[in-house]
Amino acid sequence: MKLKLLAAVFLLLGLWTVQAATEFRFPMPEFESGYKHPAMSIPPASKTSPWVDLGLLAGALALSAWSVLRLRSRRYVFLIALVSLAYFGFYRKGCVCAVGSMQNILSAFFDPGYAVPLIVSAFFLIPLLFALYFGRVFCAAVCPLGAIQEMFAIFPVQLSSAVEAVLGLFAYAYLGLSVLAVYMGAGFLICRYDPFVGFFRQGASFNMFLAGGVLLLAGVFIARPYCRFLCPYGVLLRWASRFSKWHATITPAECIQCRLCETSCPYGAIVVPTPEDRPVDQRTGARRMGRLFLAAPFIIVIAAGAGYLSHEPLARLHPTVWLAERVAGEEQGRYEEKTIDGDAFRAGKRAATELYAEAHALKERFKYASACFGAFMGLVLCGKLIRLSIVRSNKDYVVDRGACLSCARCFAYCPVEKSHAAK
Amino acid sequence: MPRNKPKKKRFTASDLIWKAATGVAVVSGLFSLTVSILLVANYVQVTAINPLDTPQLLQLRQQLAAAPEADAKLIEQIRTMDLLARRAFFTSQSHLKLGGSLLLGGVIVLLTALRTARRFKPRLPEPQGPPPSEHYWISRAFTKEVLTFVGLLWAAAALVMAYLTPLDVPSAAATAPVADAGNAAADAGTTAAYPSWETMQQNWPSFRGPGGYGVAHFSTAPTEWDVATGKNVKWQVEVPLPGANSPVVWDKRVFLSGATEEKREVYCFDTETGKLVWSRVLDKFSGTPEKPPKVGDETGYAASTLVAHGDRVMAIFANGDLACYDAEGNLKWGKNLGVPDNHYGHSSSLLACQNLLFIQYDQRKNGKLIALDIADGKEAWTVNREKISWASPVCVQTPFGPELVLNSEQHVDAYDPLKGTALWQLKCLDGEVAPSPAYGGGMFFVANDNATATAIRFAPDDKTPKPEIAWQWDQSLPDVSSPVGTDKHFYMTTSRAEIICLDSASGEVAWVQEVDEGFYASPILAGDRIYAVDRKGAVHIFKTGQPFTPIATPSVGGEEVLATPAVMDGRIYFRAGKNLLCIGA
Repeated sequence: MKLKLLAAVFLLLGLWTVQAATEFRFPMPEFESGYKHPAMSIPPASKTSPWVDLGLLAGALALSAWSVLRLRSRRYVFLIALVSLAYFGFYRKGCVCAVGSMQNILSAFFDPGYAVPLIVSAFFLIPLLFALYFGRVFCAAVCPLGAIQEMFAIFPVQLSSAVEAVLGLFAYAYLGLSVLAVYMGAGFLICRYDPFVGFFRQGASFNMFLAGGVLLLAGVFIARPYCRFLCPYGVLLRWASRFSKWHATITPAECIQCRLCETSCPYGAIVVPTPEDRPVDQRTGARRMGRLFLAAPFIIVIAAGAGYLSHEPLARLHPTVWLAERVAGEEQGRYEEKTIDGDAFRAGKRAATELYAEAHALKERFKYASACFGAFMGLVLCGKLIRLSIVRSNKDYVVDRGACLSCARCFAYCPVEKSHAAK
Repeated sequence: MPRNKPKKKRFTASDLIWKAATGVAVVSGLFSLTVSILLVANYVQVTAINPLDTPQLLQLRQQLAAAPEADAKLIEQIRTMDLLARRAFFTSQSHLKLGGSLLLGGVIVLLTALRTARRFKPRLPEPQGPPPSEHYWISRAFTKEVLTFVGLLWAAAALVMAYLTPLDVPSAAATAPVADAGNAAADAGTTAAYPSWETMQQNWPSFRGPGGYGVAHFSTAPTEWDVATGKNVKWQVEVPLPGANSPVVWDKRVFLSGATEEKREVYCFDTETGKLVWSRVLDKFSGTPEKPPKVGDETGYAASTLVAHGDRVMAIFANGDLACYDAEGNLKWGKNLGVPDNHYGHSSSLLACQNLLFIQYDQRKNGKLIALDIADGKEAWTVNREKISWASPVCVQTPFGPELVLNSEQHVDAYDPLKGTALWQLKCLDGEVAPSPAYGGGMFFVANDNATATAIRFAPDDKTPKPEIAWQWDQSLPDVSSPVGTDKHFYMTTSRAEIICLDSASGEVAWVQEVDEGFYASPILAGDRIYAVDRKGAVHIFKTGQPFTPIATPSVGGEEVLATPAVMDGRIYFRAGKNLLCIGA
């Protein structure tokens, strides 16, 4: 195991060096002989028509849904994932992607003057529509971010439900932060911190590449960590998938409760049958639930207060605030090295005091936005606690429609599947 | 009719395929590992070495900079080395790319092999452990508890983060100059009537006198004194903290500053008695660093000379702290301008004109010329500067109007002192420039060791100043001391113990006088005499013009002198070693 880990670290380091080296810049030679630098040219915006991309997205989603729901074929799902990775990932360099498109939609929501291209809107909506009808077939095989992780998920292990629930909170936090960033004009966090786009584009910052490498390395054992514990779009898909009209089932017929599928799902998406004997009677359970509902507003207010008090660290998400702090730090000698950002600012005509004033104005706006973010997290926590307190009677092994990524792994574990197919 | 085709065998094992796949995985793993190690080594090498800063290339560049004339062979050699360095870099880049592709291929094979191996030695489906019903409720309850705990933990972490990492951006109040407890608005009103040029000429407001170009407007300075016997020495006092800055005089006050790594002070002495009237320790301003930057031993922490302007005196220190006091020593405003990025330490002196204070804040990067309103310290204008220097600004009334003229590593730049707009620029300097410009006979004169001395003239008929090089001279030149000019000559004192006089019309050497010690202090013109203090404190007083006509060489006590004297009516103020001396009646 140690050797595997060591090898993986070296592999990632090796890939990182390729990316990091592409960031080197040297000063251009100082020509004094009348040499003229060639004019800069802008490469074409897209290699293929965006409508082709949209058609392929819809086609891949349809194929994925067909493979999961009709063919019940893990192999086809995996092949579609390979093709999606090759096309949407390496060929299209990870853009446009449905995950990031969420921010364009939010921008239009917060700023009516912001125009969202039709293609981007379609990229955002179509996977959600498919999730409403067929479950998370987008995650299963079409999303390039999921596909690259799927390739690495070779020795997946199952996590306990508690760990799964706690790590799942991070996706909501990331979603909240992404909304906060868009609302505050701090940019598109999801794109800025996309951990895999560096691999697709063969060029990324050191930190991005490191983050991607760590996630892929972890993904060898903890399958798809980004999809499960970070992806903000996954949260929306999770919500949509809960109401899906048709959804993948572990067994194509009646569950015989053989327990063979228990270990098949690396995503913790199999819900086991509910035991008959309940630890508390219904009245006690209802009383507890009532107390939880009463506590919920307080939890949300406390979380909002924590968010409000964290507005200064959160304000650093905004590039202007970050730059103001950096410039002030460089001016005051807090940093030994000066950054290109600070140099660029000082080379401009804008006064530092103006920048500081803008940063302070933004900080003030962050107060209430951060409070809303805190309230959202409080709401998520309450929602999760309430959900855990509601007992739904399950007689069979079924999938958790929200958590299930429709990867089709569990099908082969079901003996009913085999006998059913043989009929 | 069957709904699906029968699935292929999902959990069948094949020892042969497993072995083959494992073998491939091992080989591809080793291959990928090797490529990774090579790539990491390549990357470390590429990051550790900047090919354009190799010692050989730097040495060649220095040789070129030091060469009196452009050496075509040397330039070609530098170009060749530069090209080789760039080629080596891009070769290394292509190796990295190739390595990356090989690694990607290796990883794909490895992943495929591992998947195949896993496929043909599968873990068969079987229930693990006791039935889930046994721990179902415990697991749910535990998950709820953990979630509650994590929620609390997040809230606590948010609070700790808010407490420990507050945003450190100066507020508008902090970036505004520190105002005194008194009525700043009223003060602004009282200082609106700034000192006239005539009033400035009656004082010694800045480094090298009014305008900062080394000309005193009194011709009554003493020529004879004896510090040992006290003859013609009015008083002598010790300055508490060290500093290379020069005395400035306004009305009945002499101002100096001193500093160590820990402490910065401004002093006010009485011109009649030498008594320390007040001394002020600078408090920290917003942005004052905990530790000052590293400075050269000779520069110290208080190399910049103060400027006195009416009822205000302003001082700047090596850490970027700038303070303004009134004549009584009350702090009117102060701020930190940012730690100067300057390898010898900040040494440029302050200058004032009308209602503005000028700060030549030349640094390695992001240099600035800053003009502040003396009344309240607010920025009037700022212009960016390209190159570093250790020189001080001069302000001269030329036929084209007032010009603020600055030296830097390569250029002489002139600005409109009131607006900050650039008037002209001339590239004629080189090296690490500490001497400031001189002015005489309608020409500016700049000089620096290892470069050339240049006289800059202007066509009088032009409406705007268009500088042109009148002549250049490239023999022995000063590296610290600034030149001074008269209508007919320019005078320089060098670290090589020479006093040089050049004819301002032709650039010919009028005379060169060798003395015993070199000069850091700048010569001062007072009437028809020039006062030049060498580093051992001998004051060489000689007549202007040809030939060299010495008048006297009295001493200020044998202590090392770095500061330029302040020449007033019948008096001269020297800073020599730890002492401040007033010579005269």
